[in-house]
Amino acid sequence: MTGVIHTEGLGKVYRSGFLRLPFTGLEGLSLTVPAGTAFGFVGPNGAGKTTAIKILMGIQRQTSGRAFIHGLPIEDPLCRRRVGFVPERPYFYEHLTAAEFLDFYGRLCEVPVPERSRRATRLLERVNLARFANVQLGSFSKGMLQRAGLAQALMGDPDLLVLDEPMSGLDPLGRVLVRDIILEERREGKTVFFSSHILSDIEAICDRVAILVLGKLRGQGTLPELIGQSVQLVDCIFEIGVDLPGPWLREGSRLRAQVPPDDVGPLIDRVRAAGGSVTSIVPQVRSLEDLLLSEVERAAPADARRLGVLA
Amino acid sequence: MSRVWAIATNTFREAVRDKVLHSILFFAVILLFVSPAMREITIGDSDKVVRGVALGGISLIGGIIAIFLGVGLVYKEIERKTIYTLASKPISRWMLLLGKYLGLWITLAVEMLVLGFLYTVIVGTQQGLPSPDIYLALVMLMMELTLVTAWATLFSTFAAPTTAAAYSLCIYLIGHFADDLKMFGEQSDNPAFQELALTLYRVLPNLALFNIRAEAVHGIAVPVSEVGYALLYCVGYSVAVLGVAMVVFERRDFK
Repeated sequence: MTGVIHTEGLGKVYRSGFLRLPFTGLEGLSLTVPAGTAFGFVGPNGAGKTTAIKILMGIQRQTSGRAFIHGLPIEDPLCRRRVGFVPERPYFYEHLTAAEFLDFYGRLCEVPVPERSRRATRLLERVNLARFANVQLGSFSKGMLQRAGLAQALMGDPDLLVLDEPMSGLDPLGRVLVRDIILEERREGKTVFFSSHILSDIEAICDRVAILVLGKLRGQGTLPELIGQSVQLVDCIFEIGVDLPGPWLREGSRLRAQVPPDDVGPLIDRVRAAGGSVTSIVPQVRSLEDLLLSEVERAAPADARRLGVLA
Repeated sequence: MSRVWAIATNTFREAVRDKVLHSILFFAVILLFVSPAMREITIGDSDKVVRGVALGGISLIGGIIAIFLGVGLVYKEIERKTIYTLASKPISRWMLLLGKYLGLWITLAVEMLVLGFLYTVIVGTQQGLPSPDIYLALVMLMMELTLVTAWATLFSTFAAPTTAAAYSLCIYLIGHFADDLKMFGEQSDNPAFQELALTLYRVLPNLALFNIRAEAVHGIAVPVSEVGYALLYCVGYSVAVLGVAMVVFERRDFK
């Protein structure tokens, strides 16, 4: 077994209603999160991302499979000794001030007294809440609570940071702040495991990604491994008055075509021979969004149709 | 155990900042201040009536606070989802529950100290320094609240506050009539009812054991053995109920 987080066939079946009808929230999740990586967990709503995180964090119990954090089974609370966690929505004690709140979580992580106060002050500054140290959390906005939650997660100086949708509810400045903190933690060699709907954040931050659709893992690896770096098509736009034979799209005085990379050279020659000029040549690389949508399309055509992926 | 203590002190802090608790305590203080006026509207030994009303008031308010705070103890953590970050810390669920219970127990103990002090000042001004029996009655009341709180905590691990409050109230009322339940069972000719009544008597708490308020008011000495038995009963029974609460809590999924 390797990795800071390691799961083997992790599953969760919920039962609801009078007849206790089963509903599969997560199925056979086998995942390895290597140390020191920023690991993104992506998938549409209801994919099972939060369920997996809740099981790892001891909030819910799995109905099948096993999971380990730092080599210890998740049933052992000590596996979370060096783990910081921020849940999807910020839920904290409204009666506590920001300073008391961090002190409380510092005590739970057994941070010694003088260090606790120093660390709380430093973290409040880091998340831009130093001015609100003595204000009760009940009067905080959602974005401020999210930032306070992040400070709380860092109180125990964790090796592993688990964030469930850390960017939700944040304004652009807050998002930049959270992203910077994640990158900083990664630079310090910490492992960051987080789920997000904002795929551009995942692409910008993560070394590795896992894709979850309908409770099942559809792929995991580095971004180049998953989406590939080879150029499939090249988007070419030319300034030319005459039409050329082929699948062209006319846009005013311009002609546009998407061709395989090998066809670009001959095409430019033909355009120039006809008196035209090159406006732009843009290689098309597959994005994480393309990959996610194709996985949704494969796993759940009905959902894909609803999302407009399939006609 | 430092983590348990951290949970306990946070629970205590949350309770003392709770506005509803302030309101209930306010009524307790009003009741204590009004109790000396009872001598104006009673005949006979009015001092005893004053002591009885004051002690009864403290007992009633204590019971209300124990049930009110106890039933929300765990449920509020789940409802507000603060349990998410607590469960993710390196702390066992049984320790978490123990910390919550301990925090509530400290809140009740402080509340009893405050009310005991007010009793001394208000009733003492009129009747002189209260006898030690009065303080013993308050200690016994604290034992009763310890047990009631354990039940409320158990209910809060699986039921919503309203339901848990209803269950706790039932336990509180039945507990005060446990001896009557036993007597009904013994006097019944129906063997099935006899068995049922005696089983309930053995399973449900006997809160009458802790009620020495009448003896304290009338200055009747309570044997040490009775106090010792009550203490053992309180500790043993509370530990058993909390044990069940921990098992239930351990298995819970937090949605």
